[in-house]
Amino acid sequence: MNDLEARLLAAHAQGDSAAMVTLYQEAAALALSRPERAFFLTQAHVFALEIAHPDTASLRQALVEMGCESPL
Amino acid sequence: MLSKFCARSTRSSLELYRRHMGDTHDSHEPGRCAAANHFGPRFAQCSLHPQVFDEERDALLMSGWSGLAVASAVPEPGDALPISFLGQPLLLLRDRAGAVRVFHNICRHRGMILVDAPRKIEGAIRCPYHSWCYSTEGRLVSTPHVGGPGQNTAEGIDKSDLGLVPVRSHVWMDVVWINLSGDAPAFEDAHADLRARWAEFDKPLYHGGADSRFQLTVNCNWKLAVENYCESYHLPWVHPDLNTYSRLEDHYHIEAPGQYSGQGTQVYRQIEGDTGQAFPDFENLTKKWDTAAEYITAYPNVLLGVHRDHVFAIVLVPEAPGRTVENIHLYYARPDTAPALRARTTALWKYVFKEDIFVVEGMQRGRHATGFDGGRFSPAMDGPTHLFHAWVADRMAAHRSQAHAAE
Repeated sequence: MNDLEARLLAAHAQGDSAAMVTLYQEAAALALSRPERAFFLTQAHVFALEIAHPDTASLRQALVEMGCESPL
Repeated sequence: MLSKFCARSTRSSLELYRRHMGDTHDSHEPGRCAAANHFGPRFAQCSLHPQVFDEERDALLMSGWSGLAVASAVPEPGDALPISFLGQPLLLLRDRAGAVRVFHNICRHRGMILVDAPRKIEGAIRCPYHSWCYSTEGRLVSTPHVGGPGQNTAEGIDKSDLGLVPVRSHVWMDVVWINLSGDAPAFEDAHADLRARWAEFDKPLYHGGADSRFQLTVNCNWKLAVENYCESYHLPWVHPDLNTYSRLEDHYHIEAPGQYSGQGTQVYRQIEGDTGQAFPDFENLTKKWDTAAEYITAYPNVLLGVHRDHVFAIVLVPEAPGRTVENIHLYYARPDTAPALRARTTALWKYVFKEDIFVVEGMQRGRHATGFDGGRFSPAMDGPTHLFHAWVADRMAAHRSQAHAAE
């Protein structure tokens, strides 16, 4: 398990949605493929939606541009 | 009023009810009209049977406008309160714009419970199972990975068709009324008479806060709590303290067939603190309310009381044939009332409502007696309670007629 995975698991365990938004975006930046990036951005977007995180709109827009999400 | 009502209305409902109950007991003998419980022993024992409890849930509580909770329970945008009511998991929510909404508390994906404890929804309601997300207005806003990993759209998953399932709701007197069947007349029409009667109290009501709410659990059928609340006959015996200043003869019946019933008093004495201070009055009340107070059951399950300086609402939650939860809330004309005086008022009403517990629980135990034939109503004193019985019988008869027609 790498460090990022460990931090993600810790954030999940603590229910720390704000941390998950940050960490999943970090994972997306490191993704090796488009589908992998879409997966991590989706995770970040969901937790951002849940807490009305400031990155919610930009995350959605990124997914929309990738053809992976519908606009609101 | 009662004898006229007996002759006019209960005979037909009795016939329907007895027919459907298979009741051959003749409780409608000449000369007993005004005093008899026309609905007979089976009606009397309806407080006991799970099957009848379930039927009454459909016929009485889901088909019209029932009280669910109070809007003050979700004071801020995003406040969410899961409530189990009549076995239904519901979600009481105040949306971003401040509107109170009620939804079925389930995800449209797999029917998972969405919110399992009171909390603040900061952004969206996220289902804890597969993370489908809903706005506080109930709109489905995200279906993560629904088209495969990282693909959040899919053919056949139309977000615009998959919002939270709303429950019709209306807020009046801070009570959140719901119509689970979805086909009742609009609340404003269904309770137009009561709203007109108490139009003077249709103004901001300020919940007293944590010191102005309490809960009682009583071992009785919910209908017995209504029956007891409707009449003043029991006051001298069960509430002797009240009777010292508001005598039985000071009371009058309130009777609106098919809608509500209760009692009023011409002698309301304001609650005062140690130094004689009282609560501020609601503004612009007519002179009647200088000394009057009224106590009404809005059928089926909301017990309301109004006074010049405070209002209370009791929402009955039927939990089982022999168990009912009473959620009591007190309101004032201004948000800045004195805490000590509020505490005194809460204590007074808690004392009074607790005095009623042995009565409703005693009637519940009494319903097990095979010798109980339904009892006898006082023509002079039991009219408001009899009206509630008639409403129940009419609704049940209509419900059973519909069921038979459907078969």
